[in-house]
Amino acid sequence: MRIIKLDAIDSTNTYLKKLSVAGHAEDGLALVAKLQTQGRGQMGTIWEAQEAKNLTFSVFKDVSFLEVSQHFYISMAVSLAVFEALNSLGLKDVKVKWPNDILSDNKKIAGILIENVIKMNVISGSVIGIGLNVNQTDFSALPSASSLLLLSGQVHNLDEVLDVILKQIEIHFNYLKQEAFSFLKASYESQLFRKDKPSTFTNAEGSLFSGYIVGISNHGQLLIKVEDEIIKRFDFKEVALLY
Amino acid sequence: MDIKEIQNLIKFVAKSGASEVKLEMDDIKITIKTGSDDKGESTTYVQQIPMGQAHVAQAPAPVAAPIVASAPAADENSKYITIKSPIIGTFYRKPSPDKPMFVEVGTSIKEGDVLCVIEAMKLFNEIESEVSGKIVKILVDDSSPVEFDQPLFLVDPS
Repeated sequence: MRIIKLDAIDSTNTYLKKLSVAGHAEDGLALVAKLQTQGRGQMGTIWEAQEAKNLTFSVFKDVSFLEVSQHFYISMAVSLAVFEALNSLGLKDVKVKWPNDILSDNKKIAGILIENVIKMNVISGSVIGIGLNVNQTDFSALPSASSLLLLSGQVHNLDEVLDVILKQIEIHFNYLKQEAFSFLKASYESQLFRKDKPSTFTNAEGSLFSGYIVGISNHGQLLIKVEDEIIKRFDFKEVALLY
Repeated sequence: MDIKEIQNLIKFVAKSGASEVKLEMDDIKITIKTGSDDKGESTTYVQQIPMGQAHVAQAPAPVAAPIVASAPAADENSKYITIKSPIIGTFYRKPSPDKPMFVEVGTSIKEGDVLCVIEAMKLFNEIESEVSGKIVKILVDDSSPVEFDQPLFLVDPS
């Protein structure tokens, strides 16, 4: 596993995507930056991290063996990899908040941004960006965020944490390669935040409704049991969980 | 030949005014009869066409027009390559809201250029062009939902 370490970069995902387009990224290549100046979340949102306190990195994975329609399994594999890594570091109450935020003790500790390149109906590559709060203690601007240090009371070595996550990514992409789809889906669903608990959501129009998260569809839509035992499917933009 | 092509063919025959068309290809044999010569009935059928297939509706040929009248319109479009969505999701023409569009009508593209992003469940899929050419038409608005196999772009490969 090759790891490229940079002091500063605009975005590890953007840079790794450039490397992959130029043919310089092999399966498993990781790019880690001490400082991301333009860290990205989904579509225009930003990911902020204090310099050298947190992990911001991207990994390139060859997923050409996967059908395009199965692409949400990439998201499951990555979420589970981060989940297992944090569990093995001794973190308590780690959960996956659909679709791919990682929470511990109800606080967001890691974010994932996956960007695939599709050509001729084949996913030619997947660039997986992960931001994990490790040794940062000040989250005054982000009350729902936390870090490994705040949650475990321990300062962690960034390289060691990175190593644990990269190994878990390898393990979980091997499951993908072996087509262990039902196993991945069952594992992912079993770790979903607020699964089978009465929860409140807002829909796309902003109105509130209550229901129970029961799982996900094969395409990754969230399945919520609402009134009268009806199970509804929701796309990412159609629902927000209040917690 | 898939269902859609057969549907198009039926509409095409109905519109042409022909009462019967036989078509034989490698592994398929189709006979389409327009049912009756009753003008009333066939007119009602034709009126439905503009709602369904823009492709056929483009040629505003009268009901009784001979086949040749609408054929050039079909050829016009068939020389273009349609780029379709490989997945269900939301179609984005920009990498992020503050960035310029990937492509516009008239943009020359090379094979491998990114045409759009389709987001599904927070997975962002950059769709690369399979062909080189020029964008003739963009068939979907920015930030709108797309279905699997929905046409997104028309590209003139010449």
